[in-house]
Amino acid sequence: MDKWLLKLILVFRQVFERQGIDTDRMTVIVETKLMMDKRRVYLNFRQREYRENKNQMNGVLISYGVLGLFMGLLIMAIPAFTLAMIFFHSYVLFMVAMTLITDFSTVLLDTADNQVILPTPVSGKTLFMARVVHILIYLVQFTMALSLLPIAATFYQYGLLPGLAMMITVTLTVLLAIFITYILYLLLLRYSNEQKLREMVTNFQILMSISFFLGYQIIPRVVNLSDLSSSGPLHWYAYLFPPVWMATTLDIFYAHSFDPLHAGMALLSLAVPVGSFWFLIKFLSPSFSRKLGAVATDPAGAGRIRQEKNQYRSISVFLSRIFCKKGPEEGIFALVWKITGRDKGFRLQFYPSLALIPVLLFIFVLGGGRNISTVWQNLPSSDRFLGLVYLPLMAAPASILVSAFNENFQASWIYRCLPVARPGELISGSAKALFMKYFLSFYLLMYALSVYIWGWQITRDFLFGLFNNLLCFLVFVSFAPKYLPFSRQPSTQVQTGKVVLMLVQFLVIGILIGIHYLLINLPIVMYLVMLLLAGACWLLLKEIQDIGWEKLKT
Amino acid sequence: MNVIELNHLQKQYSGNYVLKDINLAFDQGEVIGYIGPNGAGKSTTIKILTGLITDFEGEVNVMGMDIRKQALEIKLRIGYIPEQAALYEVLTPMEYLRFVGKLYGMKENEIDTKVVRMLQLFELGESRNQRMNGFSKGMKQKVLLISGLMHNPEIIFLDEPLSGLDANAVILVKEILAKLKSDGKTIFYSSHLMDVVEKISDRIIIINKGEIVADGDFETLKTSARQGSLESIFTALTGNEQHLVTAGEFVDAIK
Repeated sequence: MDKWLLKLILVFRQVFERQGIDTDRMTVIVETKLMMDKRRVYLNFRQREYRENKNQMNGVLISYGVLGLFMGLLIMAIPAFTLAMIFFHSYVLFMVAMTLITDFSTVLLDTADNQVILPTPVSGKTLFMARVVHILIYLVQFTMALSLLPIAATFYQYGLLPGLAMMITVTLTVLLAIFITYILYLLLLRYSNEQKLREMVTNFQILMSISFFLGYQIIPRVVNLSDLSSSGPLHWYAYLFPPVWMATTLDIFYAHSFDPLHAGMALLSLAVPVGSFWFLIKFLSPSFSRKLGAVATDPAGAGRIRQEKNQYRSISVFLSRIFCKKGPEEGIFALVWKITGRDKGFRLQFYPSLALIPVLLFIFVLGGGRNISTVWQNLPSSDRFLGLVYLPLMAAPASILVSAFNENFQASWIYRCLPVARPGELISGSAKALFMKYFLSFYLLMYALSVYIWGWQITRDFLFGLFNNLLCFLVFVSFAPKYLPFSRQPSTQVQTGKVVLMLVQFLVIGILIGIHYLLINLPIVMYLVMLLLAGACWLLLKEIQDIGWEKLKT
Repeated sequence: MNVIELNHLQKQYSGNYVLKDINLAFDQGEVIGYIGPNGAGKSTTIKILTGLITDFEGEVNVMGMDIRKQALEIKLRIGYIPEQAALYEVLTPMEYLRFVGKLYGMKENEIDTKVVRMLQLFELGESRNQRMNGFSKGMKQKVLLISGLMHNPEIIFLDEPLSGLDANAVILVKEILAKLKSDGKTIFYSSHLMDVVEKISDRIIIINKGEIVADGDFETLKTSARQGSLESIFTALTGNEQHLVTAGEFVDAIK
């Protein structure tokens, strides 16, 4: 498929060459890149897992196909043609731009190319175009998977002409998405350095993962499709948005209405994507490659490395002194605290799990958004605070699994060189850091929210819940594979482990809420059980700290 | 005829000059040893000469061509072996070198014949179809050396080419450089290894804090600096004569 698409793109060979692009060299680069893609273990942002890319493409295409099915159904469900088309083109524009920023940022911003390819006689323009073609090969497949069913739905619902015209408007939308993404990167490159740009892309990827998750969970619960039964006249500013141009253009073929507005929109929808893409290749590509080349070779970047605070004053060191045994446990606590905050792989894999907390809060505590004001008014008289007590545990345990993996896993040689008698102390120190950072911080937030809603009397339940949650967390640590932090090569195991973990979490949290609920009106018993829980936590922690080298998984 | 000319070359990063008014010219067939402490501007100079950095002040001509205007023509005729072994490691040496060879415009059968032979001479014949992500630093460095030389360049730029190579490979590369020199190639060689620079270079240039502090053959430098070895000349000119004192203090700090 890839090679076939490359050949298809090379039909425009003369157009490329007229723009000063060396198509032979471009082809060599693209072919090599495609071969490399098939072998690479990479982090998929949507599934947040590391995968060897052999059959990965099929999986992605199927998931895009499923999204396309929903879009197709939406086109059939929305009676207003223009509105349906605005939805669809916005969706394509959004998905393509997001795919470019999240999944293909490494291709767009690959500075390794500067060292391998730029010393050879390849112009910046050719390299730039090779990157675009490389991406285009995937984008065409994604877009086909995404829009095949919606186009079929349009053919079925609105006839031949709108369906055929839609194929063209989709292509134009893809071109526009590429242009918008490059402009965004160019602006960022202008005001930033490579390091900062990568940092921004990572944060953006995390944000997108969270918003996709939130969107899928929350929007269907809030939006009512029957509200979209008609599309009234659009506001003037709506015509600034490309999906509206495309939809209005398609209206020419559907409603056969051709007035100055339709003509203007048709002109914009054709001229802007084609013109901007030409402008991109002709004028922006050399400066993009040059800028990227410059940031990659900028030794002064070293001077801009983020200055971290004096470590003796950092919160991690402060907490480690209070909550950890002296020695390895204290050391690893600060290390795990810092690396989890800075490592891209960890943040990409784990931070989106934190989105579970607001989603579950929304669904279980606030009743899924329906009659929210009534639910909010009745909250103080309900027992829903139990949800707040145990929600933070939904996210934190995944950090135990994720923290074992790191792209820089070879650096874990240091553990074996140090005089550490019991590596269990490294595991317990790491667990303490993860618990405090990713559980306790949210727990305190939930406590503050609960005090606001239910008053101070909630404190006892949160104290009880703390021991309950801690015990639960430590049980997860005991049952998790015994790996030292950041010592494993990234693999698919994380995802498999996460699914099992999530099922166990739901079960355990259900049981904990049940026990807590039974004891809610028995304060003395609750304090007694709290003592027992504290003892159990202490014993379990000792057991974890005593884990020897022989029990470690290699 | 000068094959490389640098006139008033300056380069700055965020207002900080890393190269200051560099004026140099090199003849064909010269072996130039370019040395300096870390951050002195060695790699920046090489990246400018190889067309990787284009935003600089001054004039740079390579083989009579302006590096800003005719970078592609120049790149066809030069070879560059970078300091860091940046390779596409998911590829095998054969796949990688075929890729680079094609970018240099070489024919596929020419590449294959040359590359197989060169890999065998570097004792990488048996690993030629293995992915490079399992390779040692030295093995990767050998692949890089081949990638920079396979198109038979007229000028060769080497930035720390011996890093990671084992003793035998170091000797082999030194011999290769000597042979290339006798074939009339111009070699611009940047390294921290003073003994190698001392032995292979016709001309030694010492750069410190972006400025040329010495330029000449080894004997001239020795006479002018009144020092016996290149190491002591280097130490004297780059202002780092406190090594003995620092070493003593360092060991004290361990205690």
